[in-house]
Amino acid sequence: MRHVLWMVVFAGLTAAVFGVVAKGTDRHRLIYGLKVFGEFLGVAFILGWILYFLPYR
Amino acid sequence: MVAKQIERERVSTPDKAWGIGVAAWAVPGLGHLLQKKWGRGLLLGGAVWVMFVLGLILGGHLFRLSGTDQGFSALLQLLPMSANFGAGLLYIVCWLTNSGFAENAQRVTYEYGNTFLLVAGLLNYLAMLDAFDIAARRKQ
Repeated sequence: MRHVLWMVVFAGLTAAVFGVVAKGTDRHRLIYGLKVFGEFLGVAFILGWILYFLPYR
Repeated sequence: MVAKQIERERVSTPDKAWGIGVAAWAVPGLGHLLQKKWGRGLLLGGAVWVMFVLGLILGGHLFRLSGTDQGFSALLQLLPMSANFGAGLLYIVCWLTNSGFAENAQRVTYEYGNTFLLVAGLLNYLAMLDAFDIAARRKQ
């Protein structure tokens, strides 16, 4: 659970910066930041499940 | 005509934009705050500062070119050190006080800490470029 927490914190902070430096209106930046945040989490969960089923020996 | 326009835009970068760029690199968020972009400055600076401090708390370590560890290669340290260096004075203070460079590989969150520290520097490079663009009137 701790790993997920740090991943969410990382995604949140990174998405905040990406959203702020993006071009467009404040509304566009907010939507872009939220999109980046969701993409970070989505890709992490998908990769996590793929790696879960991969044999490691 | 396009060439003239490009040339005019190229020479119109004000000198203060370079100073703002250096300030933005040195202290995360300062470049925007100096231009009275309070919200952006606090968000950008806050994110970079929090990420850097969390990276140290999580047990991550900073990279540098010189080292005495076995198998140490300066070339391998160059890229991660460049990323860490993006944090500006945060990195320089750690370097001067020799803190944050020790490896804590036994910590569960060690790799998270490393990632936080690396990305904090990289994000500050982005913030620096954004502050420079605003000062150069290439962006609102």
